[in-house]
Amino acid sequence: MARSEPFRFGRERSPRVLGFVMNIPTLITLSLVLAYPIFYAAYLSFHKVSLAELRRGVYPFVGLANYERIFSDPLFRLSLKNTLIFTGFSVTVEIVLAIAIALLIDQQHIWTSRVTKFLILVPYAVPPIANGLIWSFMYSFEYGFLNRILYTTGISHTAVNWSGDPSTALIAVSIPYIWRTLPFAILLSHAALQGISQDFYEAASVDGAGALQRFWHITLPLLRPIIVVILVLRTSFAFAVFDEVLAITQGGPGDATWVASWYSYKKGFAPPFDIGAGAASAYVLAMIIGLLAISYGRLIYRRIQ
Amino acid sequence: MRPRGWIRVGLHAANLAVIAFFLLPLIAALFGALQSEKSLHADTRGLWAREWTLDNFRVILSGGAQRGAIFEQATYLPDNIKKIHFALINSTVISVSVTLLTLVFASLTAYTVARLRSRWIMWLMGINVFARFVPVIVLMIPLYVTFRRFGMLNSIWGVIIALTGFLLPYGIIILAPYFASIPQELDDAARIDGCSRFTVLMRIILPLSTPALASYGAIVFVIAWNDLLIPLILNNRAEFMTLPVMIASLVGDVFTFFNLLMAICLIALAPTVILVLVLRKFVVRGLSAGAVKG
Repeated sequence: MARSEPFRFGRERSPRVLGFVMNIPTLITLSLVLAYPIFYAAYLSFHKVSLAELRRGVYPFVGLANYERIFSDPLFRLSLKNTLIFTGFSVTVEIVLAIAIALLIDQQHIWTSRVTKFLILVPYAVPPIANGLIWSFMYSFEYGFLNRILYTTGISHTAVNWSGDPSTALIAVSIPYIWRTLPFAILLSHAALQGISQDFYEAASVDGAGALQRFWHITLPLLRPIIVVILVLRTSFAFAVFDEVLAITQGGPGDATWVASWYSYKKGFAPPFDIGAGAASAYVLAMIIGLLAISYGRLIYRRIQ
Repeated sequence: MRPRGWIRVGLHAANLAVIAFFLLPLIAALFGALQSEKSLHADTRGLWAREWTLDNFRVILSGGAQRGAIFEQATYLPDNIKKIHFALINSTVISVSVTLLTLVFASLTAYTVARLRSRWIMWLMGINVFARFVPVIVLMIPLYVTFRRFGMLNSIWGVIIALTGFLLPYGIIILAPYFASIPQELDDAARIDGCSRFTVLMRIILPLSTPALASYGAIVFVIAWNDLLIPLILNNRAEFMTLPVMIASLVGDVFTFFNLLMAICLIALAPTVILVLVLRKFVVRGLSAGAVKG
């Protein structure tokens, strides 16, 4: 290194060696934080692990007992059902809103569209836990912002129990979630929208197609690939919703908003600290999302072809 | 085509509705954060505070040392709020370190994916596409057990390692196609001039990839700053909490009122919201690149 030449890393090394050396940091991190935990979670889900076992460091093998226990637990089945309802509702609403808003911000001649476009990323940057807490202030029965709006505008003179009613609590949790994750769906739809050639629309206009017909026969079919991408990505992330549930309802009222991640967290990290059952329930969640991921992989693969 | 007449009015109205929806929570948070508990109690129906004050921010940012007028008689302030400077420092250190580490690691791997393309590297890339789908809770239970055994709970490093691993795949997915789009001829010319492959990465690929690096860096910073579940499970002592964990610790505290909570939420969301608005173009590009390209 005495010469003034720049430091040359692996100049004489073969691409094979270099490829390995350059991937060492990634390989170490990923095996530590992704590969190893995935296998260790499977291991834990077949063993009895709670506080006593953690202290001793010995985890007795219990076979499928953890899985049997969670599947016979009505609360686990309810959590899965709630997760499905939550995901179905938020993803459907998100896709419809995303396409509508993407079309809206595509209007270059409307100056308010530019304002919307500027603000779209704001919800994306808000920490989910802060988002949840802000909405719990908005939902608050006594002091809440939404009830204040109802009073002040004169829409209603009785307070609405936004998140405290078991029949609507799940929807109350999903609206903040939609608020926070909508920007992502809008951006993808908008990017796809800009990829559609104006020629299609001009040709359709010449043939006398109205705005609605153009949307139905040109825009929507051409947006289909991106809609499927949004559908799969959003579905698999919505399945793991956690922060908003913690901030707004903590699973309540009663057990109306217990979702899959919340169940695993509560099982493993709240008394009686049944980490084995927590791992088993988290694994079931991962399997469901894994199936979605495989369909996503196929989809992407077909796009590359 | 310029929309005309009532269509124009309708589009403006639709935009106003969307803007109102996006800003509503921020307005609510400001409304709550800029008044006292007393004022929130006194009028539970109005949308205008009896008096506006910055005392909530004053008491939080000084860790309870400066009480201000509205907290003069208050005897209770959660211990975690008194230790907020730990949370601010921890969140900053963790987010900055994770951003830098992921940028370096992901660039190295993305280069090998884009230029070397050996079979196992492409396989690694494939794993990365799937890695994003693993729910964090599945990883956190075994990581908790392992970290506990090796005494790594309640440490900044534990969270940094976990977040770096969790965000790396995303970066490789964004950077690899970008690196691949840089013409191979530039590499070849530099190599003829005697540059090693590593020098090519440092001197040619990375400087040409600043937009992609900015996209990915901004996204990683936002996700790292906002993440709750990883530090929540690994760090439960106030000295090692991040801002989101501190906020979560206040959720069950019935004695902490919304005025303080809203102020903390605004403190937590300000850095990422400002960053994203400043780097808007990069974030937009990064988000769409990460979703479509595989």
